[in-house]
Amino acid sequence: MNVLYVEDEAKIANFVCIGLKEQGFIVDYCANGNDGYERAMDNQYDAIVLDIVLPGKDGLSILKLLRKAGRNVPVILLTARNELDDRIQGLHLGADDYLAKPFFVEELIARIHAVVRRASGGGQNILSVGPVKLDRILREVTCDRHTVELTTREFNLLEYLMRSPGRVLTRTQILEHIWGYDFNPNTNVVDVCIQRIRKKIEPIGGVGWVESVRGVGYRFRKPDSTS
Amino acid sequence: MKLQSFRFRITLFCAVLGSVALIGFSIVSWWLIYEAKVKRLDAEIKNQLIQATRPQSTQWDNYAASLPLVLGMNGKANVALLVNDRDGNLLYKSTQWQDEIDANSLWRALPQPPPDPVRMPFELEPPPPPNLLDPPPRDRPESFPPRERRPPRDRPESFPPRERRPPRDRPPEFDRPDFPLVFQTQLATMRTNRKIWRVGAVHSPQTQIAIAVSLKGIALEMASISNVFLISIPIVLLLVAGGAWVISRSILYPIGRLTTAIRNVTVQGLDHRVPLGSTDIEFIELIFVFNQMLERLERSFKQASRFSGDAAHELKTPLAILQGEIERALHQVESGSQVQQTLSNLLDEVRRLSEITRKLLLLSLADAGRMGLHRVEVNVSALLSEIAEDMELLAPHLDVQMAIAPNLFIKCDRDLLVQVLQNLVGNAIKYNLPKGWLRLQAECQEKRVIVTIVNSSQDISFGERDRIFERFHRGDSTQIQKIAGSGLGLSLAREIARAHGGDIQLEAAILGQTGFILSLPVGDRD
Repeated sequence: MNVLYVEDEAKIANFVCIGLKEQGFIVDYCANGNDGYERAMDNQYDAIVLDIVLPGKDGLSILKLLRKAGRNVPVILLTARNELDDRIQGLHLGADDYLAKPFFVEELIARIHAVVRRASGGGQNILSVGPVKLDRILREVTCDRHTVELTTREFNLLEYLMRSPGRVLTRTQILEHIWGYDFNPNTNVVDVCIQRIRKKIEPIGGVGWVESVRGVGYRFRKPDSTS
Repeated sequence: MKLQSFRFRITLFCAVLGSVALIGFSIVSWWLIYEAKVKRLDAEIKNQLIQATRPQSTQWDNYAASLPLVLGMNGKANVALLVNDRDGNLLYKSTQWQDEIDANSLWRALPQPPPDPVRMPFELEPPPPPNLLDPPPRDRPESFPPRERRPPRDRPESFPPRERRPPRDRPPEFDRPDFPLVFQTQLATMRTNRKIWRVGAVHSPQTQIAIAVSLKGIALEMASISNVFLISIPIVLLLVAGGAWVISRSILYPIGRLTTAIRNVTVQGLDHRVPLGSTDIEFIELIFVFNQMLERLERSFKQASRFSGDAAHELKTPLAILQGEIERALHQVESGSQVQQTLSNLLDEVRRLSEITRKLLLLSLADAGRMGLHRVEVNVSALLSEIAEDMELLAPHLDVQMAIAPNLFIKCDRDLLVQVLQNLVGNAIKYNLPKGWLRLQAECQEKRVIVTIVNSSQDISFGERDRIFERFHRGDSTQIQKIAGSGLGLSLAREIARAHGGDIQLEAAILGQTGFILSLPVGDRD
């Protein structure tokens, strides 16, 4: 997947690029708004991640020009300044999503997947890792031809874990992704939810695929590492 | 506190001032008029006494009858005459004379004139014709000054007019300077059971004469003057009060104008100033000071607002780097290792830090009135049932009661509303009792959606209740301190509700429970 990433803060760009590449993205990075605009016009990307505060053209101007030129490539805005105003303006100008700094790279990846999938018109409705298959339309999980239904939260959590198999996600990361900013970090809601998922997929052959990492969080087992 | 009206006070003050002045003036003038009248009466009585000292032993009747006319009294009842001879034997007593009138005391106070009949020039003369229409002499002294102090020709003013006794008819020896033509008189006010009398007494060599004049006439005259005062004073007072009321309105008019100007300024925002315009010179300083105050307020407000905004923004970049690097390291270290656990904890702390900065930034935006809202149509009922679903996971130990009306739609910022609801529900769970309950209600009332979240809790003290929406305020009890939180969530939630034109209120205190009421306007639906 081709992603253009425009960001002037080198240190942030550094770990974002590494994170994206680790997840199999091909990242085209530039630190200047004018360069970013030219590349966006010249190349075809699956998604563009734009910081708003940039030297040269700022993120919102680039977005505006792209939409004016008829480019419908999915755009995710990164905001740091005035989160609310930037968000309104960005969404108004046609951004597909926004993410406030500081953010988890894992969250950014999830968002990129989401906007790409939305833009491509639901081409990747099935997410399959090992024997476990997620149907995003029906919100079902299938394992060895058996199917169970999950609640919205459970489904989102399982999808989040399955998108990056083998990578551990902390409880806070999961909590924020599924529930949003402000939800009780000192409850064991994530643990409860994971237990429910396990209860649902283990009877149909999904035993051991959702792993606990002690003191950290959870991960979905990588298929290679077992069989 | 009782409100006081400046205008009313001014009017009252003017009225009191006016009444004191008027009443004082009336009393003084009334007294002066009375005194003048009594003095005139005295002068007439004296004049008559002195005339009466002329020998007229046979005509006391006539004299007494003529007295009321001479003295300007209407009615005989008001004048009384008493004549004794020099030994105190009664010569004449008019019928009006009342025995309570103590003329003796007056006579006693007078010096006895020398009983020298030879020197009495009028002895052989008939009583003077009662020249009744003559104006009585005025300003007669109580006792006549010694003769030698005046030249003879300057005398007539204090005597019966000269034409009554033409000098030619008078023997020359009568003008001898040592001859006392006039005897001393004594005057006093006496009270009998029926009337008040002004009594004058004189000794002549042969007789003791006393004339008593009732003060009833004067009292009647004074009563009519009093009536004039009594009628005119209230009228004047009403005029004064009315005038003060009108004047005070014109005094307050510029203040009213100023208030309007100031109100416009506060509506428009702190960066506006009251225009000097065509203000009266007395108010220029007030406007100037007010504008200065506004300027200081604006400066410090902007400073405070910008400070937290700037600080939050400046913190965001380093926090983003910190968070990203820790996240990367987390994936690089061995899974489940001690280092990973530490990194995970660090990540949580960084997250908490960024959450606080984020809230501070939002609060500073709310303070500056620049909380941008991305209003979309939101189904509150659906949102609440989603939260209710979470509640099963979050707090399975709680007894949850729900009463959510279906299809409550409002126009609002979805992300922010979710934040508000999560905060309220989160608090209701966090600060609940171990085996408590929670009640979630939502309904539509008069174009507002009312969400009520009530939970069992420890009682909140009254001081605590006042401070519950304060920033960074957290309960004092150790139990509350153990619960994680920044103390910003609730105040931010309220700011968000207010930015939507709604509010969050703490429910009235009921023992053992805490309730918050979120009300949001439905908003214009397309």
